[in-house]
Amino acid sequence: MRKIAVLTVVAFSVAMLFSSLALGARKTIIKIGINAPLTGDIPKVGEGTKYAAQMWLEDIEKAGGLEVGGKKYDVELVIEDNESKAESAVKANTKMISQDDVLAIIGPQSSKQAVPAGEVANKYKTVMISPWSTNPNTTLDRPYVFRGCFLDPFQGPVVANFITEEFGFTKAAVLYDVASDYPKGLAEVFKDAWEAKHGAGSVVAYESFTTKDTDFSSQLTKIVKSGAQVLFTPQYYNEVPLIVSQAKDLGWTGPIVGSDSWGSAETVELCGEDCYGLFFSSHYAAAGAKGATKAFIDRYEKTYGYIPDDVAALTWDALRLAQQAIQDAGKITGRIEKDREAVRDALAQIKDFDGITGKMTFTQEGDPIKCAVIVKINNQGEYEFYGSSCP
Amino acid sequence: MGIAKKFRQTFSTVPILGWFLGILTAVLIEYFWGYDYISYYLGLPKIPVLFGALIMLKQPLMIPGALAYDLVVYVIPVLAVAKLTSFITNPGAALLEKLPLWLSAVIHLACFYAILHLWAGINDYRILVVKLTLVSIILTVSVNVINGYQGEFSCSHPGFMALGAYVSSILTLMLFTNDKIFGTALLPPALGPYLFPLVLLAGGAAAAIGSLAVAIPSFRTRGDYLAIISLAFMFIVKSAVENLHVIGGARGMGGQPDLAPLPVIFIWTMLCIWIIHNFVTSVLGKALNTVRDDEAAAESMTVKTRKTKMTAFMFGAFWAGIAGGLFAHVLTYINPGMFSINRLAEILAMVYFGGLNSIVGSIVGAVSINVLGEALRPLELFKWIIIPLILIFVMIFRPYGLISFTEINAKKLLQAKKHKSQQGVSP
Repeated sequence: MRKIAVLTVVAFSVAMLFSSLALGARKTIIKIGINAPLTGDIPKVGEGTKYAAQMWLEDIEKAGGLEVGGKKYDVELVIEDNESKAESAVKANTKMISQDDVLAIIGPQSSKQAVPAGEVANKYKTVMISPWSTNPNTTLDRPYVFRGCFLDPFQGPVVANFITEEFGFTKAAVLYDVASDYPKGLAEVFKDAWEAKHGAGSVVAYESFTTKDTDFSSQLTKIVKSGAQVLFTPQYYNEVPLIVSQAKDLGWTGPIVGSDSWGSAETVELCGEDCYGLFFSSHYAAAGAKGATKAFIDRYEKTYGYIPDDVAALTWDALRLAQQAIQDAGKITGRIEKDREAVRDALAQIKDFDGITGKMTFTQEGDPIKCAVIVKINNQGEYEFYGSSCP
Repeated sequence: MGIAKKFRQTFSTVPILGWFLGILTAVLIEYFWGYDYISYYLGLPKIPVLFGALIMLKQPLMIPGALAYDLVVYVIPVLAVAKLTSFITNPGAALLEKLPLWLSAVIHLACFYAILHLWAGINDYRILVVKLTLVSIILTVSVNVINGYQGEFSCSHPGFMALGAYVSSILTLMLFTNDKIFGTALLPPALGPYLFPLVLLAGGAAAAIGSLAVAIPSFRTRGDYLAIISLAFMFIVKSAVENLHVIGGARGMGGQPDLAPLPVIFIWTMLCIWIIHNFVTSVLGKALNTVRDDEAAAESMTVKTRKTKMTAFMFGAFWAGIAGGLFAHVLTYINPGMFSINRLAEILAMVYFGGLNSIVGSIVGAVSINVLGEALRPLELFKWIIIPLILIFVMIFRPYGLISFTEINAKKLLQAKKHKSQQGVSP
């Protein structure tokens, strides 16, 4: 008993000695939460998010803190892994809001995490900007949830218009993943837009597969036989190379068009020459970018060794939006509930924000009005600006 | 070793009630002084949520502070109060011992819940973690009926969970909310909390009926074959939901009313543990064990093996359905991707980690996997190396899980602790 008592006292005093070094550390810090899929199905997306956030923090630190209402505040990033799982994203958001006292949250990227996480953010009245989620439900009826990208109902018609104008085709085929909400939603929107233009039945093949499938030959054979002139496939970087090369093997000669999910740097790396000359719609084009966009790309490439994909660019914009909103809010009172509300009001007011992925103004729902870019994969495997379409 | 022995000896006279009192003191200290004084003077930014595990891994500089916090708030008060009050708590426990066991257990549980509620209430993140852990306990205990007591290897639990989650979500969305899919609420939303148990039961029933789809074709199969059939069932459910546009398809279904606060989930969990405990210790439960050990012998000893297996399977599925319903209302969003192979791996990890054929083992498994998963969150990728490693070691050194084939004796646990000479061996 005595030994225990002595041990406790010793442990206690040692601990006190060390921790007293940090005494008085409780001052007002601006904390920004990052909810990213660092592990799980799409770690590359999480990595891009994290890197962009770290670059942003570097800028702030270089400036000696974030200036709000004439006073400089230290900024801290709280980066949480959501494991690409919905319940983990919810836990991460709850933790950041109730434990870390974040002022705003950036993320989650995928809709299947952003929809439930947005519910939490809205419940606790904390601003959340999802840079990449395209599901309308993410921001629907949630005044505190915003997003940094355009929605599928806008992107689908953009692609349909582009194909019609560029090639003059009238028969299209669609191949999509029925088990993943983004490809499925976009495929539906595209089909509607295409059929509105060219009449019912002009989508001659509408084929689906399931996540983690790697053999698409039966669907692609049908598509080749259907007499379609163009194939639209709104898939992620892990499936696009397989689809493209298998289509070529089965004798497909027409163009293959994709959507913003192609925008990852990995697409071309895995696909190689098969993908050269193909088009997709996206948020920004890396090759031939100018101004702030180019500065961002160059800096990112220099630091991390590869050209940033659209997730990184959108995350960067989302962080800058949050920064602007915090500065517009005018002052940090230190009472977190009040500050969060002020940030939300300021964010909703932002007009013509000049981001690296285009100009943005938020609608009532917290969705930005912004342009889509058509990107061509050129013969060096770079993503080249080809045209843009604005609402 | 000497210290550990002495330690155990010193505290062997403390009954469960005494520990409760100690923990209550600790929680009260945290509640009143945790933020303003203790964590402030220790240089911590806030009350550490999970005993400082998160902050220690994220900022190693905070380790001394977090440890000191744990010491001041938890370790010292719990030990001191538990020991010093044993002169009151022991007679108290002796008094409770005179009551029927069930009443005494209910009183203990009520005390436990009060402490849990107070502790979790300090931070909403704690509430969420506790809620999801309790749901995991229901899941693990229910899968233990099939994989442990029945000795099969069933992989369809996420499928049952999905059935329960979807059926109960559809019901609550239809009855109590103005929803895009199902239109205006059919009943006043105020009735929600009262009718929620019925909704959950409906979800459980749906899962139980769905389990027949696995049970009937796999009557004659055992082992690997059942595993494959049940795995197929899980994928069928997932694909079916993905292709049903009416209920959101792959986009999922959101907007469930928040009908599952902590007390509701706690009561359901306790009900689940109690009912499953009674089930496995009943005649049917014994029959189930004989079927596991030798089906032919059981049949010849007049055990109706077919009926026994079916009942147990449906029973396990029923509770998985309940867990699914609670899960859907905690997250207020579900999509079919949640009920897939990842979930299966998690459930199986919990049940095999904790221990087969033991309800206590299941609880230990569910709690440890959940808490570990949260506490190691800052490690990101390494978390997925550490947890599987722990599992591997458990499988090597305790192939049936940490606590298997044993049950804790509630009576012995709750009784007053007299001195060694009077009682014999202390537990």
